[in-house]
Order: sequence, then structure tokens, then C-alpha cells
Amino acid sequence: MEIIWILIPFALLLGGLFVYGFFWMVNNGQYDDLDSPQYRMLLDDQLKIKNNINNQPNSNKERK
Amino acid sequence: MSAEVISLNIKEVVKKCAHCDEPIALSYFSKLSKEKEFCCLGCVTVYEIINEKGLQEYYDIKQDSAILKRRAPAEINTNKYLYLDDSQFLKDYSSEEHGIKTLEFYLEGIHCLACLWIIEKLPQIIKGVEFSRLDIGKSTAKIGINSNGKFSEVARELHNLGYKPHPIKKNTEQTILQRQEERTFLKRMGIAAAGSMNIMLYAVSIYAGASDIYAEIFGILTVVLAIPVMTYSAYPFYLSAYSAIKNKRLNLDVPIAMALLLGFIYGLFNISRLNHENYLDSLTALVFLLLITRYFLMKIQQWGLTANDLNYFYASNSVLVKDSENHFREIHPSKISVGDILKIRPSEIIPVDGFIKSGESFLNVSLINGESKPLKVRLGDHVFSGTENLNNEIEIEASKTLKDSRIGKLLKSVENGWSNRARIVQFTDKVSGYFISAVFFFSILAFLFFYNKGNLNQAFNYAITLLIVTCPCALALATPMTLTNSMSKASKKGIIIKNDEVIQKLSEVKNIILDKTGTITFGKFKVLDFIFYKYDEDFIFSLIQALEMNSKHPIAQSLLEFTFRHHLKKLNLAATVLHGKGVETQYNGFQYFIGAIKSKDTKIEQFEEIFNEVGLYENNELIAKFRLADTLRPDSKEVIKKLKKLGFNIFLLTGDKKEIALKISNEVGIESKNVFYEVTPEKKASVILKLDKPVMIGDGANDAIAQSNAYVGIAVSGAMDISLRASDVYLTNPGLTPILDLFTISKETMFVIYRNLFISLTYNLASVCFVFLGLINPMIAAIVMPTSSLTVLFSTLFGTQKLRKLFKEKC
Repeated sequence: MEIIWILIPFALLLGGLFVYGFFWMVNNGQYDDLDSPQYRMLLDDQLKIKNNINNQPNSNKERK
Repeated sequence: MSAEVISLNIKEVVKKCAHCDEPIALSYFSKLSKEKEFCCLGCVTVYEIINEKGLQEYYDIKQDSAILKRRAPAEINTNKYLYLDDSQFLKDYSSEEHGIKTLEFYLEGIHCLACLWIIEKLPQIIKGVEFSRLDIGKSTAKIGINSNGKFSEVARELHNLGYKPHPIKKNTEQTILQRQEERTFLKRMGIAAAGSMNIMLYAVSIYAGASDIYAEIFGILTVVLAIPVMTYSAYPFYLSAYSAIKNKRLNLDVPIAMALLLGFIYGLFNISRLNHENYLDSLTALVFLLLITRYFLMKIQQWGLTANDLNYFYASNSVLVKDSENHFREIHPSKISVGDILKIRPSEIIPVDGFIKSGESFLNVSLINGESKPLKVRLGDHVFSGTENLNNEIEIEASKTLKDSRIGKLLKSVENGWSNRARIVQFTDKVSGYFISAVFFFSILAFLFFYNKGNLNQAFNYAITLLIVTCPCALALATPMTLTNSMSKASKKGIIIKNDEVIQKLSEVKNIILDKTGTITFGKFKVLDFIFYKYDEDFIFSLIQALEMNSKHPIAQSLLEFTFRHHLKKLNLAATVLHGKGVETQYNGFQYFIGAIKSKDTKIEQFEEIFNEVGLYENNELIAKFRLADTLRPDSKEVIKKLKKLGFNIFLLTGDKKEIALKISNEVGIESKNVFYEVTPEKKASVILKLDKPVMIGDGANDAIAQSNAYVGIAVSGAMDISLRASDVYLTNPGLTPILDLFTISKETMFVIYRNLFISLTYNLASVCFVFLGLINPMIAAIVMPTSSLTVLFSTLFGTQKLRKLFKEKC
């Protein structure tokens, strides 16, 4: 059971690190918008490119 | 004269607009597609632009995604947004980093996944846009441009796509404060979660039978871990309880704060006696659960309009001001000072009060007094802010600044209405008030009872047991959770409830007051039917298009919109606008005139005067006749009938003329004794105050004061912003049908709350008896308490049959 004297501080340290990480993320603004990312990930990049191939060259040409 | 009569029956049409899903009264078509039908020209334009940019996928995404927010038909963009390029303006509003200028916009009309998709596609469709990111919850987009881009162009494109942009001032104190608050709340939740989970680890070990030195160490660890949770995370509860007690009130936070403090002190006390018993595991979990419930509640309310949103709406369109060199340039309305000469173009909103310096025109004053007929103004006339210039360019001299103008004042009185409103003690507050007093009374009683038996330690133990076992968790958690649950489900159905009190209040009301213009009706002139005496549809419509092309009169505009549904070949005619009379032209040797029906022709058919009739004349002979009126929303009649069946008294309140008010009330089935007509906004409020617990349903600025004075104010879809601000509930789906759902939700939710109260009170009563019989110790109390909470939780999630059915329906 002596192992517990190492495990407890280690567990607390680990927990502390996670809390620190969470605070850092919050302060960094990563949690400011909790509504959009869940929708954003639904927009499939692959699909988008496939469907847009017909239009993409046109708009590129115009830009050039 | 052979009369070919074509009559359109509007009520039978329930098709939905392909762009905005608004029900279509009259279909419009795009030249790109014969199948898709639209509700207005604005939506057609946006549809065509989206196609032109190769963004058709928008409609596929829209179809698959649930609608999240209010929808509205698109407006045709006339704004140039040149002030966005003004360096003075950018200094206040945008920030620059690595050569990329960033500006944040509030976008009107954001409603679903497809909007997110299209907004974030901006870098691919507008030159010079580096990035674009949308916060769908707040409807704000951060857009960055490089040196090739211009914000005015971005804003114009956004508006063309159907999202009206309002720039947001960067980093005002308010926004920083709000962001800070939100972040702090998240941190409190994080600490509570980490603390309670870790405590659980050690608490379980103790329950599992850890002994001696381990039990002591674990006991100390739980207390140490509980310190940040009980102080930092639970701070909001202490604060709220403190302010309640200071105001001599009891709210739900009082017993919670009390239980938390006592439990914490008890834990510390036991640790100091080297006794590892404490209930910090349940207490910290309680803090975490409560914080989470409140967080969700906050999030739901954010989907509604926050106080800040109002700032975006006012003064975000530019205005033309004459400078010292007699040139007009665009400025931001907040910069207008008294005496400035402003040029107001057709379809612009007059930003400040003033006098007409030159020109004459018709104004749409419905936002101010609810009258649907345009008001004619000429030189020297007083004009009010918030009115829309309809046909001619006018110049006005500002007599007030933005802040002191009519709209500004109206806004202020709305705010006052809010703060003056008697603070209604929430239902659960009332119950918990008694409940808490009872709990304290019994705790003290238990303490004295067992102290009399001679054991201080046992007396203390039983008092704590009682406090814990009757801890109003069920009350504290279940009521807000039931409300949150209903509110979030309602918001997915397009009913945004801004305040949870509303659900309770709606269950008590009997009187419903409806505004006319824009609520029961669409608030816009539409062609009802037309009669041709000569020629066919194509020719007449082409002729009308050519004639009315340059007229800005509202009736001309609706005629024009009406004929635009058909894609006709254009007749190029030089038309002369005869002000206030009509339009005239020559074609194929004939003289054509369109305007008000000349008196000698009225004998053909006597129309009631509330309709606006327009005749088309060929050499003074009437060849076609159009009848226009503000039409009823398709569901108005049905909803009013159902509401009456449910036992509500329905009233009609309007600023419009008597005849129109009575005609409409007759049509939808409101008794004429319940109709109030020709009422000013201020008077509307006084009518409201005479009724018992009135619900005001309206859409305009003229309803705002009434709404804020009503017991419950409801704003309908497409409502003016000030009205949204003043209301407690607003509907994002068009029409009045959601009101029926709202009443069902309110009634059923209250039923669930009563059921929960009954369950938790029974639990508590039983456990109080057990405590006095000495059958429960704190350990068992800690087990019984969550059981009662769980029962109530299931009852909440289960809801009622009606609620389940309502929320299951797809909106």
C-alpha cells in the first residue's frame, strides 16, 4: 500500500495540470463560442470541393 | 365592356418561400428556376446572387439542418455602407494586425447551418477577404481583410446575400465585461467538476471501508479539495443569497448557500476532531450540477436578444449630411448634430427628428403609430425618427440628436417600463420561502429535542441530518431544470422565451391583446385582386411595369412587385410621374394613366373605402382595376378561434382608423366591443394597464411601451427590434400559430413543476418524521437525498404526454 504515497500526489498533480490547462484554454478564448464549432464540423470539406469544382475555376479566372 | 374577372384567393395558398420559408401570399419567380417559388422580390434577388456565386449548396445544407433562429424575408439592398471605409470610423471600430484589418459585424438573419457555411465562404467570393468566422449563437461575424479589400464591399455583399450587417464597436467596456463574466463562469464550472470528481475518488474509498491513517488522509484530502469548490465555484450562490437576505427576501439560493456553508463548516469541524465523516462529496457535486443547470439556462437566454443587441440596430445605417462645401457625404448617425442638413433618399429610415427643408414625400409611419396608410409630408413639416421615407428624396434639418429623438425616447421609456415593473416573486421562491423557514424551524427543534436528551454531539448530528435530508435539491434543481428543458425545447420550435418567469405567468393569464398591423396582418400592401376590362394579362402587366418603374409610392411598389412575379418583356416608355395622382405615358398612340380610381367610375362596383383601388386608364377609359390592402396572415383567423375556445378574451389594439380596425376584427372574429382603434403608442399602454394580467402581442415600435407594461409581452416574427427588446417572448416562425404552442408549453410545464414539488415535499416530510424518530443518521440522509433528486429528475425528463408530442413534431 506504500505506493499510495506516490500515487496520491501524482493524481493531484495530474488533476492540477488539467485544471491549469482548462484555465489556459478559457483565457485563450477557445471557449468563447460554443455554438458554432458543433455545426462547423458538419460541413464536409471533401464534399464541398467536389460540388464546387464547376464553379471554382470560373471565379478564379475572374480574379486573375 | 366585357369584364374578365380574375380573383386570387390568398387564404388557400400555403406554399413556403424557397429562400426564407415564410408562407407565400403571392408567389414570385426567379428567371433561373420555374419551380422554386418565393415570397418577395428580396428573396428572389438573394436566390439569384447565391446562384451567381456558385453557392447553390447553401440550399442543400439548409434543407438538412434544423432551423435555429428567427427567419425573415430578405430585404433588397439599397445601402452603400461607404462609411465603413471612413478612416475615422475604422479607428473606433476595427483593429489591425499584420496588415489585416478586422471588423466585427452583427448579422441580421442568421438562422442555421447554411448561414455558417455561406458566411465562412466569404474569402472565396469577395476580393481581399482574408478570413471570416461566424459565431452562430451571438450572430456575430469577425471578418478580416487585407489591403485589397474594403469593408464597404464586404457589407454590401453580406447584405446582398440577405444578412444585414451592423458593425460592432470594438472592445467596449460592456463587451469586455460580458466576456469576462462568461469565462469566469466556465472556470467556476471547471473547478467544481475537477474538485467534485476527485473528492468522489476519496469519498468512495472511505465508504468502501478505508480505515486508520488512510481514512484520515482521505478525509483531509476531501476537505482540501473542497475548499476551492466551496469558495470560488459556489461564490455566485453566496452572493445571490446575501443580496436576497439584504432585501429581506428568501430565494432558492438562501437554503443552498446555507446547506453549503453548514456542511463545509461541519466538515472542517470534523476534520479538526480527526473525524473523517463529512458530506463534501455530495455538496461539491451539488455545486457542479447547479452551475451546469444555470449555465444552460444562460445559454438559452442568449439565443434571444441580449441588451447589447439593441446597440447594433440603432444608427448603423449611414446618412448623407451636407458639409461646409455644400457636398453631401456619408456619416454615421451618431455624429449628427442639431442643425445639420440631411438628405433622406427613398426607402431610407429617418434617423433623427427634424423639419423638412426641401422636397415632399410620403412617409411610412407605421413604426411610430401603427397606421398602415402612408403620411404625406411637405416643406416645414415635422418628421420623426424611425419613419421611412417612401417616394421622393427630401432634405431635412435635424432638430434633435439621435439620443433625444422620438425613437431614442421611446427606447428609454421601454427600459423604464422594464425597471418599473413590479418584481414578481417567483412561484418556487414563494414555496421555498415557506419551505426554508420550516426546515430551519425543524432543524432547531431537532437540535433542542436531542440536546434535551443530553447529547450535544448527537443533537448536532441530527440537526445537520435534517438540513441535508431536506436540502431543497429537488426544489433547487428540478424547477429550474424543468423550466430550462421547456425553454430549450421551445427555442428549437422557434419560440424564444427570454425569462423563465414567463412560463409561470402565462399559465395565469386570461386577456390577450393583439396588435393589428404586422401581427394579425402582414403589414404590407398586397394586390388582393384585379379586373381586366380589355387586353390580356401580359400586356397590362408590362404596361404597369413600365409605368410604375420610377414611382416610389408604396402602392406603385406593391403593384410593381406583383407584376415582377412574371417575367415579361420590357416596354421602354418614358413615364411622367404626376405627384400624388399617378403616372402617365404614351404608347402606340394611346395615352395611358395609372392612379386612383376616378370618381365617375366608382359606380361600377362599390368597394368599401378601406381598400386602396388603383385604375389603369387608356385615353380616360378604365381598362383594368386593382384592389390592394394589407392582408391577413394565413393563420390569424384559425389561431384566434382556437384561443377563444381555450377561454381567452381576445382584444384588438391598433393605431389604425376605425373602419379598418372593425373590418379586420370582424374578419378574424373579435367582438367589436373588444376593439380599440386610433390609439397612440402611449395610450396603448394605458389601455393595457386597465386589464387584468394582459398579454400583449405585437410587432412594432408603437407596441413596445404596451409590451413592456403588459404582464407578458410577445413579439411576433419580423417584429421591429425595439419591440423584440420590450417583449418577454419572441416568435421566430412567422404567423400566430406558435402562440398556441406557447400556451400549451406553459400549462404543461407548470403541471410538471407541481408534480415535482409534490414528490419532493412528500419525501421531505417523510424524512423529517424519520429524523425525529431517530431512524436516520447523516450517512443515510446522504443516500436518501439524491434518491429524491433522481425521482424528480426523471419526472422532469419524462414531462407529460402533450409536451412530448409537441416537441417531437418537426418545426
